[in-house]
Amino acid sequence: MSYLEYTVKSVPTGFRKILYLNWPLTILLASVAGVGFLMLYSVAGGSYMPWAEPQMERFGVGLVLMVLVGLVPIWFWRSVSSVAYGVSVMLLIAVELFGSIGMGAQRWIDLGFMRLQPSELMKVTLVMFLAAYYDWLPPAKKSRPFWVLIPVVIILVPTALVLGQPDLGTAILLLAAGGGLMFLAGVHWAYFAAVLAAGIGLIAAVFQSRGTPWQLIKDYQYRRIDTFLDPSSDPLGAGYHITQSKIALGSGGWTGRGFMQGTQSRLNFLPEKHTDFIFTTLAEEFGFVGGFSLLVLYTLIIFFCVVSAVNNRDRFSSLLILGLALNFFLFFSVNMSMVMGLAPVVGVPLPLVSYGGSAMLVLMLAFGFVQSAHIHRPR
Amino acid sequence: MIRVPLRPLARILPARANGENPDAIERENKRIRHEEMRDRMRARAESRLLILGMFFVCAFVVVGARMGLLSISEPMEPRAYAPGASISAARADIVDRNGALLATNFETHALYAQPTHMIDPVAAAEKLVQIFPDLDHDRLVRDFTGKRKFLWIKKTMSPEQMQAVHEIGDPGLMFGPRDMRLYPNGTLAAHVLGGASFGKEGVSAAEVIGVAGVEKYFDNYLRDPDNAGKPLALSLDLTVQAAAERVLWGGMKLMNAKGATSVLMDVHTGEVISVVSLPTFDPNNRPRPAITGDPSDSPLYNRSVQGVYELGSVFKIFAAAQAIDLGLVTADTMIDTTPPMRVGGYPIGEFNRKNYGVISVTDVIMHSSNRGSGRLALQIGVARQQEFLKKLGFFEATPFEIVEAAQGKPLLPKQWTDLSAVTISYGHGLSSSPMQLAAAYSAIANGGYIVKPTILKQDVRSLQGERVMSAKAAADARMMLRKVVTDGTASFGEVPGYAVGGKTGSADKPNPQGGYYKDRNISTFASMFPTNDPKYVLVVSLDEPVETSGDKPRRTAGWTTVPVAAEMIRRLAPLLGLRPTVEPTTLADITLTSSN
Repeated sequence: MSYLEYTVKSVPTGFRKILYLNWPLTILLASVAGVGFLMLYSVAGGSYMPWAEPQMERFGVGLVLMVLVGLVPIWFWRSVSSVAYGVSVMLLIAVELFGSIGMGAQRWIDLGFMRLQPSELMKVTLVMFLAAYYDWLPPAKKSRPFWVLIPVVIILVPTALVLGQPDLGTAILLLAAGGGLMFLAGVHWAYFAAVLAAGIGLIAAVFQSRGTPWQLIKDYQYRRIDTFLDPSSDPLGAGYHITQSKIALGSGGWTGRGFMQGTQSRLNFLPEKHTDFIFTTLAEEFGFVGGFSLLVLYTLIIFFCVVSAVNNRDRFSSLLILGLALNFFLFFSVNMSMVMGLAPVVGVPLPLVSYGGSAMLVLMLAFGFVQSAHIHRPR
Repeated sequence: MIRVPLRPLARILPARANGENPDAIERENKRIRHEEMRDRMRARAESRLLILGMFFVCAFVVVGARMGLLSISEPMEPRAYAPGASISAARADIVDRNGALLATNFETHALYAQPTHMIDPVAAAEKLVQIFPDLDHDRLVRDFTGKRKFLWIKKTMSPEQMQAVHEIGDPGLMFGPRDMRLYPNGTLAAHVLGGASFGKEGVSAAEVIGVAGVEKYFDNYLRDPDNAGKPLALSLDLTVQAAAERVLWGGMKLMNAKGATSVLMDVHTGEVISVVSLPTFDPNNRPRPAITGDPSDSPLYNRSVQGVYELGSVFKIFAAAQAIDLGLVTADTMIDTTPPMRVGGYPIGEFNRKNYGVISVTDVIMHSSNRGSGRLALQIGVARQQEFLKKLGFFEATPFEIVEAAQGKPLLPKQWTDLSAVTISYGHGLSSSPMQLAAAYSAIANGGYIVKPTILKQDVRSLQGERVMSAKAAADARMMLRKVVTDGTASFGEVPGYAVGGKTGSADKPNPQGGYYKDRNISTFASMFPTNDPKYVLVVSLDEPVETSGDKPRRTAGWTTVPVAAEMIRRLAPLLGLRPTVEPTTLADITLTSSN
C-alpha cells in the first residue's frame, strides 16, 4: 500500500533533483562501463573502432536517459507500469510475427535508428509491473492462491514468448527475476518450496528417462547437458567456448598478461569475444586481480541498490529497486559463471561491459528507475 | 488472529464517564495496530532480504573462488590444444636382431581447418590444391564455405608441404603434431611388421595403433609408455632379409610365378631370420584390403603363414624318418614301388607314370616315389602317422607371433583312412603353411627336437623342445635329403661349399570347381644347410611357376624352385656367417707352377 503521493513532504523539485541522485551508484556504473570501453578497445586490437567508440556513445546516451528517467517522479512510473508491461508483451508478439532473424533466433525489431530487443525491455517492465502489483495488493492477500496465480501468469506469459524465440537464457532470467520478486514481496515460502521440489523432480525425471522409451527431451539436448558437465568431451564442438575461455582465464594467472597482451581472445580463438565472452579478455589481460575487481564493482552496485531499497519506505520503490538489482545480479553472475564453466552457455551478456546497444540502453533505463525511486523516496 | 478491539468498552466507558473523547482511544489503537502491521511486514521483508543477501554473498564467493582457482590452476602459456594432450603416441621402436631399425616414430603434422576462422576460404582452397594435388578443389571450397566448423585436410604431410601451407597464412588452417609410424626400410619385412594407423585422434596428438603383423600382435607392449625406450627386438636379420627378398623376387620373375614365399629359420631356436612373402607392400602406406577377388592374391596376404597349401613331396621325408625311427626300415631297406598299387580302391601313381622298381628307402626319397612313401605310410599306420605329424605341429595354426598366423589353419582330412595316410605321406590331403614346414624340417635338421617358430630374438643358443625322433633317424633323413640334391630331383640345389640337402615338392593347385588344375602348381623346396651339421632351414615356395627354356613348359620344383632356393643359399649363407667347406679337388688339377 502506497501513501507516497500524500505523505512526501520534502521531495526535491526541479533540477535540484540532480543533486539527490544516487551518486555512488552513478559513479560505479560509469567505472564498470569504463572497464568495458578498455576491454572493447583491447579486443579490437587497440582501436576505438569498431566497438569501443559506439559503446561510449551509447553509454553517454544511456547516462542522459538514466538521469531523465530519474527526474520523473516514481509515482508516474508506477502508474504506467501496467502499460509498459502490456507494450513489452505486444512487442514480444510483434517480434514473433515480423522480427528480423539474427544468430538463428528471432529477437529484434528494427526501429530504424536502433534494433530493439523486446526481451531486454521485458526484464525491466516485468519487474516494474510485479512491484506495482504487490504495492497495490493488500499485504494480507498476497499468499492466497488466487493472488499468487496472477503474478505467476504475469511472469509466464513473457517467459513463454521468449522461450519460443528461442532464447532459453533470457527465459530463465525472466523466471528467476519474477520469482525472486515474489519472494521478496513476501509470498509464503511453501509456494517456493513446492516449485523448487517440482523442479528438482523434473530434472531427475529427465535424467532418469534417458535412453528409455519415455525419454523426455531429445538426444541432442542430452548431449548439450553432457558437454556442459564435461566440456572437454567435445573440445571442438559445443565445449569449445568453455574450454577456450578457461584457458584464457588460466593463462591470465594472478595479475594477467597486461593490457592488450591477451592472446586467446585476440588470436580469434574465441568467438563472441566482444560480447558474451568479453570477461575472458579481462581475465587474461588483468588476471585474477582484474576479474575480481570487476566482480567487486558489480557487487558494490548491488550493495548500493540494496541499501537504497532498505531505506525506502515506499513499497513500490523498494520492491522495484530490489527487483532490478536482482536482475542485474543475475546478469553478471550468470555471465561470469558461464564463462568460467559453472553454468551452461546461455547467451547472457556481461552488463555494461559487453558490446551491445539495446542491452546497454535498457540497463540504463532500469537504473533510471532506481534513481527515480531514490530521489523521490519519502523522507 | 485475535483482533484487539479498536474501541474496547472497558476503556471507552470510563473515558466517557471522565468526559474524554473516546475517538482518541480508537485513533490511538489504530495507530498502534498499523505500526504493528508495518513492523511485521518489515520483519518479514527483512528476513527475505537477508536470504537474498545470503544468496548474493554465496554467489559472490562461488564466482570469486572459481576465478581464483582458474587463475592459479594453470599459470602457463595458453595451450590451445590442451584437451588432446592426454593421447599418448610414444610407441616403442622395432629393431632387428642386430639392433637395426625396422619401425620407429616420426614427428609430422596433420592439417586441419576451422572454416569459421578463415579469412579467404576460396583462395586458401586454391592454394591447398596446388600443394596437395590429390585434394578436390570444389569439395574444399564447399567445406570451407559451408556450415562445417572443423575438418581434417591431411592426416600427415612432409615438412615442405607444411611450410607451403604455412605460407598461405590463413589463420583457419591449423597444424596438429602427429607421431607417425615410419618404416625406414620401405617394403622390407612388410608382412612381419604389418603396419600401423591412427586410432583415437585429437588435434594435438593421435594414438598410433598396430593394424597387422607384429605391430598388432605386440600392440600392448609397443603402446605401453613404460616400454618407450625399449625397442622390440625381432629375430629377423635386416641384411639377410633384404638379400632374401631381392633374390626371391628375381626368382619369382624368372620363373613367371605369381607369388612366392620363403622362410629361413634357425634350426636350434626356431628363430625366423628372414621371412618373405611376395608380392609385398609398403607398410608406410598400407593398401586397403581388397574387397573383390581372391584375398590370397592381395599383396597383404602373408603366404608364409596364411597360405595353407598341399605342399606335396616335401612330406615324404617325414614318412621315411618316422619309419626309420620306429625301426620298421633302415635307409637301405628295399621297397617295392612297382605298379599297380591300389589303396582303398584308388590307384597310386607316380609322376610321369614312372616305374622305379624295387628301390631302397633312400632312393624312394631321392626319386620322390609316391608309391614308395605310401608303402612306408602303410607300415607306420594311421595312428602313429597322426601322432607324429601332430607333434611336428601340422595340426594347429602356426604358433607365430604375427596376428595373421592364427588365420593359417591347416586343412586336415575329415576321415583319416589308409588312403589318407598314403596321400599325406607324399603331401596331398593335408594342407600346411610354409612356416610349419620349416619348423618340421628344423626338427630333422637339429637331430630330432621340435622347435617352435618365433619372430622374437632369443637370447639362448638353443630352444629345442620335445624329442620327436631319434638322432639316428634324423641323421639318416638328412643323408637322404643330401642325396636328393647330389643325385636326385633337386640337382640344381647344389651350392658348392654349403652341402645343401632338401626335398622338392610340386603339388597341383586345387580347382575351386573341383579336382586339380593340371597346369598350376605350388612348387616347394624345403632345404637345410650345411647338411652335415645343419644351422638353417630354408623353405622356398613358388606359386604357379613355369620354366619355359625347354621344349615344353616345366613346372616341377626341381626346375623352378630349386634353382631359386640355391641362389638364395648362395647369397645368404655368407651373410649368415657360414664359411664354405671346399672339398679338395684332385691334386692333378693343381700344379705349383701353373700360372693360369
